[in-house]
Amino acid sequence: MKKIRLRVNGVSREVIVDPETALLELLRDDLRLTGAKQSCDRKGQCGACMVVVDGQAVRSCLAKVGDLEGADVITVEGLGTPDNPHLIQQAFVLSGAIQCGFCTPGMIMATKVLLDADPNPTVEAIKHALRRNLCRCTGYKKIIEAVQLAGRFLRGETTPEAVRPDAAGGIMGVSHPRPSAMAKACGTAYFTADYRIAGALELAVLRSHLPHARIVSIDASEAQKMPGVAGVLTAADIRGTNILKYLVADRPLLCRDKVRYIGDPILAVAADTRQHAEGALAAVKVALEPLPTLSGPEVAMDPAAVQLHPEIPNLCFDQPQVKGDAEAALREAAAVVEARFKTQINHQAPLEPEATIAYWEKDDAGEDQLVIIGRSINIHYHLGMLQSALGWENMRYIEAFSGGQFGIKIDVISEGIAGAAAIHFKRPVRYIPSLAESMLATSKRHAFDMRVKLAADAQGKLTAYGNDFFVDNGAYHSIGHVVINRALLMLSGSYHIPNIAARGRLLYTNNPWGSAARGAGPPQINFALECAMDMLAEKLGIDPFDFRLRNSLAPGQSKSTGRVVQEWPFPELMEAMRPHYRRAVKEAAASRSGKVKRGVGLGTGAFGIGGPGDTAVAAVELDPDGGISVYAAAADPGEGNDSMLTQLTAEFMGIGMDRVRLHTRDTGNTAASGPAAGSRVTYMIGNAVLDALGQLKAAMQETGMKTGPDLEAAGKPRRYVGRKINEAGPLDPQTGQGPSFESQVHAVQMVELEVDTESGKVRILKMTTAVDAGPVINPLNLTGQLEGGMDMGVGFALREEYVAGKTKDWVSFKFPTIRDTFEMETIIRETPRPKGPFKSTGVGEMCLVPTAPAVVNAIRNAAGVWVCELPATPERIKAALAATR
Amino acid sequence: MTAPQPQRGVRTIAGREIAFDDEGFFESFEAWSEDAFEELARASGLPSITELHRQVIRFLREYYACNGRAPLNNQLRTGTGMSLLELDDLFPEGIKMGARRLAGLPNPKTCS
Repeated sequence: MKKIRLRVNGVSREVIVDPETALLELLRDDLRLTGAKQSCDRKGQCGACMVVVDGQAVRSCLAKVGDLEGADVITVEGLGTPDNPHLIQQAFVLSGAIQCGFCTPGMIMATKVLLDADPNPTVEAIKHALRRNLCRCTGYKKIIEAVQLAGRFLRGETTPEAVRPDAAGGIMGVSHPRPSAMAKACGTAYFTADYRIAGALELAVLRSHLPHARIVSIDASEAQKMPGVAGVLTAADIRGTNILKYLVADRPLLCRDKVRYIGDPILAVAADTRQHAEGALAAVKVALEPLPTLSGPEVAMDPAAVQLHPEIPNLCFDQPQVKGDAEAALREAAAVVEARFKTQINHQAPLEPEATIAYWEKDDAGEDQLVIIGRSINIHYHLGMLQSALGWENMRYIEAFSGGQFGIKIDVISEGIAGAAAIHFKRPVRYIPSLAESMLATSKRHAFDMRVKLAADAQGKLTAYGNDFFVDNGAYHSIGHVVINRALLMLSGSYHIPNIAARGRLLYTNNPWGSAARGAGPPQINFALECAMDMLAEKLGIDPFDFRLRNSLAPGQSKSTGRVVQEWPFPELMEAMRPHYRRAVKEAAASRSGKVKRGVGLGTGAFGIGGPGDTAVAAVELDPDGGISVYAAAADPGEGNDSMLTQLTAEFMGIGMDRVRLHTRDTGNTAASGPAAGSRVTYMIGNAVLDALGQLKAAMQETGMKTGPDLEAAGKPRRYVGRKINEAGPLDPQTGQGPSFESQVHAVQMVELEVDTESGKVRILKMTTAVDAGPVINPLNLTGQLEGGMDMGVGFALREEYVAGKTKDWVSFKFPTIRDTFEMETIIRETPRPKGPFKSTGVGEMCLVPTAPAVVNAIRNAAGVWVCELPATPERIKAALAATR
Repeated sequence: MTAPQPQRGVRTIAGREIAFDDEGFFESFEAWSEDAFEELARASGLPSITELHRQVIRFLREYYACNGRAPLNNQLRTGTGMSLLELDDLFPEGIKMGARRLAGLPNPKTCS
């Protein structure tokens, strides 16, 4: 041990520590300064822990306290507070640079060091200063803009007051700062791992290193005797079903007899410290007997293949879609293209690793109530899953601030093990897996394998589309069949295709379990359609822009589901893109002579909003002071749902936004509004809130009352429940025809890139997105989603892939950095949608639906080769180029 | 279709077509009626419907109508004046699968 004297946020501290202790550990665990976050297992890869030490930006996970004698440390808490924020913190809030907020403290501290040295940095200098800070939400564009704005503040060129939207300037369509943004900027927003509980047990979990095996034996006797160990938890200790049933009861909380993928949980060790738990885990002896592995859908389809789940066939869902007579249309077409497209298993990559806190409280009747704090985006549904799996009814779920999720939290992950341990040991529990373990534990984006035929007549009008696709479900179902249905619901994209023959098949394998991932099905299926559109346009000798416009669906025509649409503002969006496309094509044509060739690619998307069978519920209440409380479990892992609910409510009721009080995080006081998934929150929950507010407003108008107590005295309730109920689904099981989405958000994306034809490397120069999501509620929130989605879409197209057992951190995942950024431009159209809240829809997922095909089409345009398997890595591009020589 | 996925269904209960989810819960809170409750209660093996049953069902429906969710256990105890044991005795299928289901409270919504 060593005694170290240092200053932290201006306060002198003397600590006696192991000199090897990481500064991050001292800050978070001992000094309770939790603004600095941990994402990358202390490898220095993410910058979420960035602080200032003696004027330098330092990753506190790498700095050793023993080296900091006399050091002056500043954390984000030392920079400013929500009541008295620093100008940099204000700049991040006002620029819309804060979405989930997990990376924000590190970004702000890196910015502080940069601007102290250079208050007017170039973009390149900003990128250099923030090169070690990762962000998954923003695509870095608004972060760069925030640094520039902070520089203007610090140089005295403008002030936060001058930049902040004026309340008198209206509510809708104005970029009012998110209600949660300042807390995130100042490090006072609590994420799950930020909660400490005295006496809490820490968990370490043993997970399978084999994709399929029988559990022969477990010997935890040595582990039980080790220091600080409270005990070992196995499936036999769980009181409930031990099954985390999302839609199908197939996923064990802890495996009892078999493991089915690399990462399946076998047991947990509980101890007084994480170190003790991990030490004891290493002493557990588990014998696994390997079983035959289902490595992919083709293997799982083999009649001789082992059946993964005893009562469910490997082919666990099979949904055709038939419209018209595709066979005849393909036979008679003037041109047909055929191709096979594959997409990869991918990690959603929220910056915050998985985490759960479980503790006990007494309910009103003095009974023991288990409280789960975690990252759920559907707290009421997850509560029900946990009650059954754990065999404990008296529970409450609280959503903490969440460091992104992108679909990964549609299902329960660490909550089950933490809750089971809390019940078994009758103690509070913290289960904070490492990033590497989080990658093993969590769901992944489904891999698609698609065989496609697309046909057109001599006039260049689409006549038929066939898509026979297999989806790798992985080891457990989660939302597997929903992903296939969503792919079929949006199969025909932006276009009118009169004849359809499609079939989606879902197969259990021993790969990581698939589940929701931003878009969940449409990004994969649209990759095939949009690339095939370029292939067919080329075969017909038609410009791909004109070919798309020529084949736009029109009101009165039907999608692949047979559902006739009433609105389709896609041609107008294409026209908005046309001048940009002309410019880009001209510029690219001038850059084709050397080994680095420039290309332009298009992709479009029509993303369904308001799905069949969906319902939402929300409650509102008139407060004693005339303010409005909204009670709706509308999770906000970064999209800005707090802005949306606040602005809708204030606008509808004609009150200030500061008088809207949101209650969205606790099953104890919220309506069960459904998941923050499928881009549904604005459309479904927003509409449910407006329905409730409509009832309240009518009662207030009838009585003339303006406060809750007065309204009650006048004989009316102060509280109202509203609903949004869509037409029932699902698709017909034989034809795939049936109810579809109530509306669509439309997008056209154009990629300009360069391909180095020797190295196969791709450099994205610019992406332009034209989008029509209806009237915009908050422009910065909308463009923030688009920019983050473009960045994520490019990662999906070019770099990212999850390989079980190999992808273990942000470097092996190829997480996009600020150096990967490219120019982004957004074109917004606002066609009103009759059924949307204030005629709006939603935009969170659509933004990456057209991206991957736009990138691959641009590669074709630049280098003359097709790369039909994602990611389009340099190796694949080089192989395609070699095949043409 | 070879699916294990939940099979929702529409059944005729008390002369009306009602949509249920895969666990037999009402899809729509508004589709419930006293008649539907009685028919479903008989089908679930409830030997007789007493005023106590109706009292619990009324509380559950009023709570959901006001809050948009089912009550937590302590709220159920307070609202009905009964212990969880008494409630379990009253509804042999338990609070969730018995009382909440018969009261027509939909399951929390999810992707399906």
